Amino acid sequence: MSDKYKKILMVLIPLMIAIAMPLIVTDNYFRGIFIMTLIYIIVVLGLNFITGLTGQMNLGTAGIFAMGSYTTALLSTKLGISPWLTIIGSIIMGLIIGVGLGYPSLRVQGVYLALTTIGFGEIVRILISNFKFTNGIMGIRDIPAFTIGSFSFDDKLARYYLYLVFVVIMGVVAYRITNSKWGRLFKAIRDNYEAVQAVGVDIAKPKVLAFTLAAIYGCVAGSLYAVHMEFITPSVYTFDLSTTFIVMMMLGGIGSVPGCILGAVVCTILPELLRDFGNWYWIIFSILVLLVILFRPNGIISFLKTRKKSVKEGVK
Amino acid sequence: MLKVENIDVYYGKVQALYDVCFEVGENEIVSIIGSNGAGKSTLMKTIMGVNKPAKGTIEFNGEQIGSVKTNLIVGKRLVYIPEGREVFPKMSVKDNLVMGAYSRKYSSAEMNRKLEEMFEIYPRLKERQSQLAGSMSGGEQQMLAIARGLMSEPKMVMYDEPSLGLSPLIVDEMFETIVKVKQTMKIPVVIVEQNAFMAMSISDRTYILENGHMKGSGASKELMDSPEIKKAYLGG
Repeated sequence: MSDKYKKILMVLIPLMIAIAMPLIVTDNYFRGIFIMTLIYIIVVLGLNFITGLTGQMNLGTAGIFAMGSYTTALLSTKLGISPWLTIIGSIIMGLIIGVGLGYPSLRVQGVYLALTTIGFGEIVRILISNFKFTNGIMGIRDIPAFTIGSFSFDDKLARYYLYLVFVVIMGVVAYRITNSKWGRLFKAIRDNYEAVQAVGVDIAKPKVLAFTLAAIYGCVAGSLYAVHMEFITPSVYTFDLSTTFIVMMMLGGIGSVPGCILGAVVCTILPELLRDFGNWYWIIFSILVLLVILFRPNGIISFLKTRKKSVKEGVK
Repeated sequence: MLKVENIDVYYGKVQALYDVCFEVGENEIVSIIGSNGAGKSTLMKTIMGVNKPAKGTIEFNGEQIGSVKTNLIVGKRLVYIPEGREVFPKMSVKDNLVMGAYSRKYSSAEMNRKLEEMFEIYPRLKERQSQLAGSMSGGEQQMLAIARGLMSEPKMVMYDEPSLGLSPLIVDEMFETIVKVKQTMKIPVVIVEQNAFMAMSISDRTYILENGHMKGSGASKELMDSPEIKKAYLGG
C-alpha cells in the first residue's frame, strides 16, 4: 500500500468511528462523554503547540479554558450575543492571553515557567470565584445553545456532530501548522535554544506565537464547553484539570497531532469503561498511564509506528 | 571584513575582556588561541551580539554591529558555529539544515541546491539526512552544526572550538573540511581554539588571548617558530 493511501485511511477510519460512535452508543450519558472528548481534543491540540512542540511547560491550561468559557457565558447571557459570535470573542480572548502570558514568559524557563503558568491558572480561578459580574462561586447558568435559524443544537446528537466539525477543522489546522515552517521552528526551540539563536531566529516571536495558538485553542474549547454544559462554575477550572490535559498529551504522544487526539480520547473514555471496578477504577487508570509513560515515552501513538521507521525517520 | 576595536566586556561586575582589538581581512583564516577562561567564547558572543560591549566598536562589512540584536546580525550573514555541537537532536539531519537557512528566504529550488552543496562537502550527511541528528556520532554532529551554519551563504564564518571533544582522527578531518569550505566559498574564517597547534597550522594569522587581554598577534608560521609560543601553547 502506498504511503498516501495509508495516510488517507489513517484519517478516514478514525473519522468513520467518530461519526458512528454516538449512533452505536445511544445512551445519553455516554453521548455527553463523547462531547467532552471532542472538547478536550481541541484543548490538547492547543497545548501541544506550546508544550509538545515548543517544549515550554504550561500548567495553566485550566485558566485559559476558563477564560474561554466565561467569555462565551458572559457575552451570551449578559449581552445576549449569539453563541456563534462569542466564539470570535473567545478567539480574541485567546490572542490577548497568548500575548499577555507569552511575553512575560520569555524571561522565565523550565520549572519557573511551569510555576508562572500555575500562577496564571490559579489567579484566573480566584478572580472568577470572587468577581461580582462572574457571579462568584455560584457560576453562570442558562447559557444558550447554538442555533441555525429555528434549528437548535440542544440535542446531544446534533451537538456532537457540530463539535465534531470544530474538531476536524481545528485538527487539520493543527496538523498543517505542525508540519510547516512554524512547526519546525517550534521543535527547534524545544531541541536547542541556543542553536536557534545561532541560525538567526528572534526567539520571542515563535514562542509568543506558540502561546497564542495554545490560548486560542484552549479558549475556543472553553466556549464549546460552556455552551455544552449550559451552566458553569469556577470549581471546574482547577489545577487538576490542567494536569489532566498534560496527561492526555503525554499518554497519546507528545508532539504528534494524532497522538494528542488519541490521548484525549483514551483519557476521557477509558476511566468511564473502568468504572465497573468500583473504587479501584482510578488506581487502575493511573497505573496504566504510568506503564505507558515508562515503556512508551512517545505515547500510545508510537505503537502504530514500526520501530525501525520511528528510529530512522525521527519525529516528523 | 571584521574589525573589533578596543572593546571591554563585563559579566555583571566581572570584567572578561580588556581593550581587545582584532581584525579579519578578506579571504583569510584567522585563529584566536588561548587557554580556558581567556575570554575566547566571550569575544565570539560579543561579536554576535549576545553580550554587549561596555566600550569600543565592532564593525562588520562596513556596518557597526556593536548594538545590533543577534538574529539581525545573522541576517547580515555573519555566521557563528557554537562550541559543543549545538544541533537539534530530535529533528532530522535535513530539517537541521533547513533551519540553518532560516534567515534567508530561499525558494524550494534554491533550498535543494543549497542542500546538495552541503551534501557534496559532507557526504556523510547525505546518507543520514532522514536520521535524527541526536543519534549521530560527535564528529558527524559537529559537521552538521557547521553545514547548518553554511546553509545561509555566510559572508564570514566563525568557528568556536570545532575540535572540542572529538577524537584526534576526526579533528584532522574537521580542519581539512574547514579549509576546503573556505577555499570553495571564498570567505574569511575565524577559528577559536584551545588546540593551538591545529588552529595555527591551518590559519594565516593568529591572535593570542590571555586573561581577557590580547597578548600578541602575527603570522601563524612565525608564531609557531617563536620559542615563547612553543613553550606556552605547543608543549615545548
